Amino acid sequence: MRISTVTFQHDALGQMDSLQADLAQTQNQLATGKKLQSAADDPAGMAQLNQLNAQLSASQQYVTNGNSASANLQLEEQAMSDATNVLQSARDLAVQANDASLTAAQRQDIATQLSQQLQDLVAIGNRTDSNGNFLFAGTSSATQPFAQTANTVTYSGAASVSQIQISPNQRISSGDTGASVFMNIPAGNGTFTTAAAASNTGTGSIGPGTVTNAAAWVPDTYSVSFTSPTQYQVTNGSGTVVSSGSFSDGDTISFNGVQVAISGSPAAGDQFTVAQAGKASAFSTVAGLITTLSSPNLSSAQLSTAIGGALQQMDGAISNLNNVAASVGARLNSITSSQSTAQAVQTNLQTSVSHLSDVDYAAAITQLNTEELSLQAAQESYASIARLSLFNFLQ
Amino acid sequence: MGDILSTSVSGLLAFQRALDVTSNNVANATTPGYSVERVNFAENQAQATASGYIGNGVNVQSVTRSYDELLAGQVRSSQSSYSSFNTFATQSAQIDNMLSDSSTGLTASLQSFVNALQTVANSPSSTAQRQVLLSQAQSLTQQMHNYDSQLSTYSSDVETQIGNNVSQINTLAAGIANLNGQIANGLASTGQTPNDLMDQRDSLIDQLSQYVTVNTATQSDGSMNVYMGTGQALVTGNSSQTLTAFQDPYNASQHDIGIVSGGNTADVTSEISGGSLGGLLAVRSQVIEPTQNALGQFSVGLAAIVNQAQQAGQDLTGAAGQPMFSVGGVQVLPASTNQGTGAVAVTRTSLNALTPDDYALSFSGGSWQLLDHTTGQTVAMTGAGTGANPFQAAGLSIVVSGAPTNGDSFLVRPTATATAGLSVLLTSPTQIAAASSIQTTAAAANTGTGAVSGSAVTDPSTFIPGNYTISFTNPTQYQVTNAGGTVVGSGTYTSGTPVAFAGAQVTLTGTPATGDTFSVGAASPSNTGDNSNAFAMIDALSASTLNGGTTSLTGVANNLVSQIGVVTQQAQANASAQQSVNQSAVDTRSNLSGVNLDEEAAKMVQYQQAYQACAQMIQTSGVMFNALITAITNG
Repeated sequence: MRISTVTFQHDALGQMDSLQADLAQTQNQLATGKKLQSAADDPAGMAQLNQLNAQLSASQQYVTNGNSASANLQLEEQAMSDATNVLQSARDLAVQANDASLTAAQRQDIATQLSQQLQDLVAIGNRTDSNGNFLFAGTSSATQPFAQTANTVTYSGAASVSQIQISPNQRISSGDTGASVFMNIPAGNGTFTTAAAASNTGTGSIGPGTVTNAAAWVPDTYSVSFTSPTQYQVTNGSGTVVSSGSFSDGDTISFNGVQVAISGSPAAGDQFTVAQAGKASAFSTVAGLITTLSSPNLSSAQLSTAIGGALQQMDGAISNLNNVAASVGARLNSITSSQSTAQAVQTNLQTSVSHLSDVDYAAAITQLNTEELSLQAAQESYASIARLSLFNFLQ
Repeated sequence: MGDILSTSVSGLLAFQRALDVTSNNVANATTPGYSVERVNFAENQAQATASGYIGNGVNVQSVTRSYDELLAGQVRSSQSSYSSFNTFATQSAQIDNMLSDSSTGLTASLQSFVNALQTVANSPSSTAQRQVLLSQAQSLTQQMHNYDSQLSTYSSDVETQIGNNVSQINTLAAGIANLNGQIANGLASTGQTPNDLMDQRDSLIDQLSQYVTVNTATQSDGSMNVYMGTGQALVTGNSSQTLTAFQDPYNASQHDIGIVSGGNTADVTSEISGGSLGGLLAVRSQVIEPTQNALGQFSVGLAAIVNQAQQAGQDLTGAAGQPMFSVGGVQVLPASTNQGTGAVAVTRTSLNALTPDDYALSFSGGSWQLLDHTTGQTVAMTGAGTGANPFQAAGLSIVVSGAPTNGDSFLVRPTATATAGLSVLLTSPTQIAAASSIQTTAAAANTGTGAVSGSAVTDPSTFIPGNYTISFTNPTQYQVTNAGGTVVGSGTYTSGTPVAFAGAQVTLTGTPATGDTFSVGAASPSNTGDNSNAFAMIDALSASTLNGGTTSLTGVANNLVSQIGVVTQQAQANASAQQSVNQSAVDTRSNLSGVNLDEEAAKMVQYQQAYQACAQMIQTSGVMFNALITAITNG
């Protein structure tokens, strides 16, 4: 075949140019460590890379979010543990006060100690985080949630708490409202409350009672009235008699799926009420006890009923704190587990990112050597072939 | 003897010519466009004798160049393709590189914005975190502006290059027409082909093929007609047409290609294909404009989503949230050829239906038609085009006024200038509406464990502010009533799943009891620790709300990157393939038309020896003559 001299020169030059371009590209990949230099290198890969990088960045943000939520929840956990201790010592004082042999002055001393504990409890409710935001104010985090006037404590925080996102599809509450921690505690035994009428003349006192059949309970305010010291009848809110019978000291009176124990000797005309349980707050429980203990003129039966009720409500408040603390603990666990999942996810994402975008050094260096060798061979062969010309031999 | 002498002399003269041609070949061995020339020898007419025909020597009939029209055509068509793809790939790669950086790209910036929102959600009352979010909004805006201005620069570069290409084509066409005239004259006067002029003309046509696809037709007088693109005549005989780059009737910053004849300019843009001019026109319509429009769609989407969420919320001072971003409006460009006084005002109405395409709104037969420029499809419009009842189509609301004339048209670019107008409106970090504008409280008498975990307005356009009550008819059924007692929503309750009604949603957790109620009302200004609206914004930013509800904001950004990547990759692959095809066509032509020095050396030796032989023959004839004279003298 006939080849023009110019073609031979051009082709040899063209090959060397293209080998040099390949060499430069491989060298660039080695220098930057990236094999994906632009979307044109691998459009689908670049789109995936962008997606992976966004996920990675989001995942790192979730870990940060988790840390921030943890910090708040730990403060809350501490506050609740402190509140439980305060309530526990208030409960001890109540037990101590539930002694008929104490004088009014001794009870007043206990009431004074309880006042101090009420203030402690309010102070715990008004604790703030490191930014000065109130822990228990819900979303009104800049508003002091609890205000105390004499023995009355009111809640002015919000009804909801803010959420924090700790994983792509999990948002948890970063705290709890003061309402759910301290205020909305079911009164009595959770279903109903019991009380003795102030006008009672007998020594009968009523216990907190229990639910025997929740399905049979009809919420209402019932009145247990003694027509004689041994006869009682139970009427509902509209005056209908739902139960009646004879009574002796220590008997339990059952109706509509609940039973209450009355001890002592009620007088004819004495009344006890069994009412549907509302909500009581930890503060009002302590405050109620202070009022009871500060009243010098209560009969021992009235004292006993009131203290018994207060003890039960304190147990309710403590158990509510424990429930919230358990939920806080569960949330802290969620954070820990979502953070460790996030670490694993990040490792995977980084592996994928590296796989897509990072250069394989072994392969790239091998390629560099091959290309170098090719270029060298092209240069040497050109140098030796270019010298050949028939004119050299014509003398 | 006379025969020997004259025959030998004809040989001497012929081989001298042959050596002239060989030396010219050697001299032009590296001249671009030079075709190797060959001497065509022919026998002189023989002399008839009784003993047969006696040859009368040789003459040089012609000097022809080694040339093949077909091979030249292959070189040109592959050159046009290569040059078109290469121009496209070079321009497109710039945009591809601009968008590609995965650490600073659009997707990464959007994610940084969302991360900043998450940080605000972590401590909604912290102004420091809010400042970070505002800065992220500023830097996202800045990045969009950088992209936009970079695209404008590329766009004006392309326009400049289109102008340069057009003037190059005109210069080359004039040169070809001039050579056509000289070649026709030369051929007519001598009957021989002027090889050097033909080489020059081929060379000019080769150069022309870099700018635009060319086809040629050789005429009987030796001239060559040149057609460009899809058949538009550029050179006919010794005259050439003049191309011009004139302003687009809609967009004065863009140029179309026209042919000037008799003072009128005919638009031939659609007939241009191939070559760098074809590549430039293609990159403008396939890369630069779509990128501008897609970035615009991203800007519109970002502004619409964030602003809607902002307006649904409440800022740190307790005031209603204000829009965070402003964005450029719809660009409406009237054709410079419009005769009537019609005017068109276009606004965007629906993010969902908005497309990144450009539209032509034209008035013909007494009515308006909307044509999608990208798909070429007619788009149906509802409405009457009046202020009270505007045309509605493709997420746009179009109001026409004035008196249009049939044939008037407007170019409507819904997203093209949106990015240029993107800016952050909020000036103070307190203006970020992280809190919801509504707040829900559980009734004090509730006996269940139902608790509120968040309330947010999801659609400010349908939400009517006021008080609402969510009441549980049993622990798993709820109904929502407004202040007037009308039921506005009801459904089955699942803990943690939002209760949605009338453009708002409330998330409850726990187990409510029968008869429990929750009241929803305007948020208190003290609700500064709420982050429900920040989450509503985060959710809206990742939701598929664009392109008919199929694509998220990230999707738009990612699609753009991969779309530009794909066209660039294809253009690079095509350019590389066409380069090989072109190289091989050039080699094939060069193998026929190029000079091989070894061959010329051999020919030189051949002609030299033949010349020496002829000279020897003259000497022989002298010897013979002497021998005869001597014989006669001595005899």
